[in-house]
Amino acid sequence: MSGAGLSARIAEAASRLLSEGSAEVVIGFEQGSIPMRATPCLVTDPSDAGRLVWNAFCANNLARYLEPGRKAAIVARGCDSRAIVELIKERRLKRSDIVVIGVPCTGMADPRAIARRFPGLRVTAVDESDGMLVIHGGPEPVSVPLDEVLHASCRLCARRNPVICDIPLGDPVAERDPGFPDVEAFASLPAEERRSRVEAEMAKCIRCYACRSACPLCTCASCFADSSQPQWVGRGAHPEDVTAFHVMRAMHLAGRCAECGACARACPTGVDLSILNRRLASDVSELFGCRAGLDENAPQPLAASSMEDSQDFMLDPGRKRE
Amino acid sequence: MTDTIHGRESLVRLLEGILAMPGVTVYAPVAEGDGAAFDRVLSASEALLDSSGAVRPPRQILAPMTETLLAMEPGGSAVDSVPAPEPTILFGARPCDARAIVFLDRVYAGGDRIDPYYAARREALTILSIGCREPRATCFCTSTRGGPLSVEGSDILLEPSGEGWIVRIITERGASLVGRAGLGSSDGRVTDPAAFPQAGAPRDLSALRGRLEQAFDDPRWEALTAKCLGCGACTFLCPSCHCFDIVDAEEDGRIVRSRIWDSCQFKTFTRQASGHDPRPTGADRYRHRLMHKFSYCLESYGMPGCVGCGRCVEACPVNLDIRLLLDAFGGER
Amino acid sequence: MSNPYAPVPMRVEKSVTETEDGSIRTISLTFPDGTAPFGFVPGQFAELSILGVGEAPFGIASSPMSPDMLDFTIARVGTVTTELHYLEPGESVGLRGPLGNGYPVEGLSGRDLLVIGGGFGFSTLRAFTNYALHPGNRGNFGGITVVYGARNPGLLLYRDDLCDWAARDDMNLVVTVDRADEGWTGMTGTVPAAVEKVKGVKSVLGGRAALVCGPPAMIRYTLPVLADLGLAPADIFLSLEMKMKCGIGKCGRCGIGGSYACTDGPVYSLERLRGLPGEFR
Repeated sequence: MSGAGLSARIAEAASRLLSEGSAEVVIGFEQGSIPMRATPCLVTDPSDAGRLVWNAFCANNLARYLEPGRKAAIVARGCDSRAIVELIKERRLKRSDIVVIGVPCTGMADPRAIARRFPGLRVTAVDESDGMLVIHGGPEPVSVPLDEVLHASCRLCARRNPVICDIPLGDPVAERDPGFPDVEAFASLPAEERRSRVEAEMAKCIRCYACRSACPLCTCASCFADSSQPQWVGRGAHPEDVTAFHVMRAMHLAGRCAECGACARACPTGVDLSILNRRLASDVSELFGCRAGLDENAPQPLAASSMEDSQDFMLDPGRKRE
Repeated sequence: MTDTIHGRESLVRLLEGILAMPGVTVYAPVAEGDGAAFDRVLSASEALLDSSGAVRPPRQILAPMTETLLAMEPGGSAVDSVPAPEPTILFGARPCDARAIVFLDRVYAGGDRIDPYYAARREALTILSIGCREPRATCFCTSTRGGPLSVEGSDILLEPSGEGWIVRIITERGASLVGRAGLGSSDGRVTDPAAFPQAGAPRDLSALRGRLEQAFDDPRWEALTAKCLGCGACTFLCPSCHCFDIVDAEEDGRIVRSRIWDSCQFKTFTRQASGHDPRPTGADRYRHRLMHKFSYCLESYGMPGCVGCGRCVEACPVNLDIRLLLDAFGGER
Repeated sequence: MSNPYAPVPMRVEKSVTETEDGSIRTISLTFPDGTAPFGFVPGQFAELSILGVGEAPFGIASSPMSPDMLDFTIARVGTVTTELHYLEPGESVGLRGPLGNGYPVEGLSGRDLLVIGGGFGFSTLRAFTNYALHPGNRGNFGGITVVYGARNPGLLLYRDDLCDWAARDDMNLVVTVDRADEGWTGMTGTVPAAVEKVKGVKSVLGGRAALVCGPPAMIRYTLPVLADLGLAPADIFLSLEMKMKCGIGKCGRCGIGGSYACTDGPVYSLERLRGLPGEFR
C-alpha cells in the first residue's frame, strides 16, 4: 500500500479511537516543517487526526512518547513495536494501556544518504512511488530507489512488521534476517582501525544527549550521566568522558536495545555508535539465543536469573571463579 | 591589487595567502562526517569553501565546549589559565555566525565583569564572512534583524557578485588583514541586498516580542512543545547560546576547574539542591529558551539571542521548529 | 585584567554545628595576609569552593560591620557542602565575592522593618539584623520585628543571636517552629501564621518594609499576610534562592526574564518580581 493510502487509514483509525475514547492520545507522524522530515505528532482531538501521515521520512521511534498510565494509541512498525515489547517486559508500560496501530515498513530514507547521492542538490520535496523516491529541487526531478538510501538500521532490520499489533494496516511485508554483517565486518578490522573509527565518532559528540533523549529504552528517571554524587562520568568534552558515556549507555542497553537506530538519527553532528549496540545485540544473540523486542514472552536475558545459572560465584561469593 | 575575487580559485588563493601569513591560526569549515565544522586548517585544501555553512557554529573557537579556568599541580596553588592565543582568523563564517559573535561579545565581554578567557580569544580574532547567495530551508535571519549580507560582527565581508565576491572591509582589523593578504577592497555597496533571495518574509521583531510576552501563560505551550525530547541539540548547535556550568575534576594528576557547556533544556539546569525547580516541565524549559532569545535578550543585550541561522531547526531530532512556535505565539492574532 | 573566576584563598577560623541533626554548620573565614577585607551589603553572597570538589553559592551570614571575619551557613546537601562541613580551622577555602545586590539598606532607612525568615534561608537576614542592630546603624531604622521559623526546635540556627535579640528592648523577636518537641516552650506554627500575629505591631515611623527569605511555600503563604498588613509590593523584598554558578551574569543559569539573580538579585522587590516571568512568584 502506498504511503498516502496508509496515511489515510492511520488518520481514520486515529479519529475513531479518539472519538470512541479508546485512547487519550494517538502518537503518529505528521509532515515536517522542512523537506525530508516527518515529525512526531501527538493527536488528542479527533478533528486533528487528518494531520497524521506515513512516508519514508518517519525517523523517530515513537515508543519514546508512551507514558505509564496514559491510554495511548501508537502508530508502530517493527522497530517501534520492538521497543514497546521491551517496555512492557520492564513493567514501564501496561499492554492494556496501549493500542498498537501496526504498519508494515520497508525502511526509512536517510537524508544524509540522499545528500551523498546527489551532492549539492537542495532538496525541496520528495515524492514516493513503488519503492522509488522522486526528489525535487534541481532543474529536473531525480529519482533513486528507496532501498539504496536507507538508514543503516533499516537495512539491517530483523523485524519489519509489528511484533504486537491491535489494528493492522496495510499488507505485511516479507521478513528477512540480515544478521550482523556490520558487526562481522567491524570485527575483522585491525584493532587500530576499529579504535580510530570509534574515536572519530566520539570526537563529534557535543554531549547534547539527543541519542539518550530519542532512545525509547533510555527510561531511567535519573541518568548516570547526570549524577553528581557520585559522579560516574565527567560531563565535558574530554575524550575519556565522552567514551565512558557512550560505552556505559550501550552497556545499559545490552539485551534491551531495539536496534531501531533512533540514537544515530537523532544525533545533530552525525555520531553513529550503533556498532556498539549492535555488537552487544550480537553477543546477546549468540550467548542467550534471543533478540530484544522479538518475543513478548521471552525474559530479558540480562535481567533474568535462575538457580541453574553457571555464574555460581554470585551465590557463593567465597568461591573463586575458575 | 584587486577588490573583487573572481571564482573559486581566487577564493582558494585568498585563503592560501592568509595561511601563509606568519604566526596566525586559521579556522574554516572542514568536513566532519556528512557535515561541516569550523576547525583549524593548515592548508586551503582542507577547507570546505563551497559549503553552505558549517553544521557546528564557530562559538567553540571563542567559548570551547570544555575550557580550563584554573589548574593546580599537586602540592601547588591554583593558577588561572587565561589563554594567550596567537592572531586567529575565522575564514568563511556566514553573516549570521558573525552576528552571533556580536551577541556573545555582549554577554561575555559586556557589563561590569569581563570574562577574561573569552576576551583574550576575542581580542585575537578577525572574522572574514562570506555572504549568502541563497537561503536554506531552515534560514530565518531576516526575522532577527540580520540578512544574507549583514556586516555586523564581520571584519571583512565577501559579498557574492556574479561568480565571485566583492571584498568589503568593515573594520580596521579587516583592513589590516586585507592589506597583509595583498587584497584591495571596494567602497560603497554596489549590490542591492533586495536582489538576494530572502529567507521568507521577515517577522517584525518588536511586535513579536510584545505578543510573546503576552503569551507567557498561554495554555498551548504544553501541547505545542509536547514532542520536545528535552535534549540539548538546539542549544549546543546554537551559535549564540552561552550557558555553562563549572565543574572540578582531576586530569593527568592535576586538579582543574573547567567550564562546560550547559543547556537550559536539561532537567538538571535549574533544579535546586532542595529538589525545588522553578522550571519543572519541558514546556517551561522550551518557553524559557524561546522567551530568552526573543524577549529577555532584547532587554538585556539590545539584540535578540537568535540570529536565525536555522541550525536548531536542522538539528532538532523531532523537527520542533522554533519558527512555527514564534508564529503560533508571536504571529498576528 | 582581574579574573572574576579566581577565588581568594580564605582561612577557616571556626566551624560550628548549628543544628541538632548536624546537617547545618556555620564556618567563619578570615582573609589571607596582605588581602584587605572587602566591604559588602547584607544580602550579598559569595561562591565558596574547594578545588577538585567544586564551587557553590552561599549568602554571607555575618554583618558587614565586622568585615574581618565572614560567616557562611552551610546545609549539607551535596558533594561541595559535605566537603565544606569537613573543613577544620586552619584549612583553606576559595572565595569569590561579594556577589549580587544585597538588601536595599539605603532605601530601608527610616522605616519600620519586618524581617521574615524560614529555615536555612535565614542566613542573610541574620546578617541584616545584626547590621541594623549595630549601634552605628540602629538609629537609621524604626521598629524592627524579626519572625523566624524552623521545622523543629533542633533546626533553629544562630541560638546565641536569638538569645541576644530576645533580651533587647529595641526589637521584637518571634521564633516559631512547625513541630514542637518536649522542651519547647515557644510558639508553634508556620511562619505565615506567626506573621499574622504581629499584625498588631504599631508602626513607629510610618513607612514599613518587609525582608523575606525562605522556602517557596513559606513565601507563597506569607505574601498575602503582608498584603493584609498593608505592605505594598514595592515595600516587600525577597531574597530568592536560585541555582547560581558563575555569579557574574555569564553562565545563564539564574536568569529570570531579562535579569540575572546573581547580578540584579538575589534580592528583588515584589514589585520588580511581578514584572518578571511568573516562574519565581
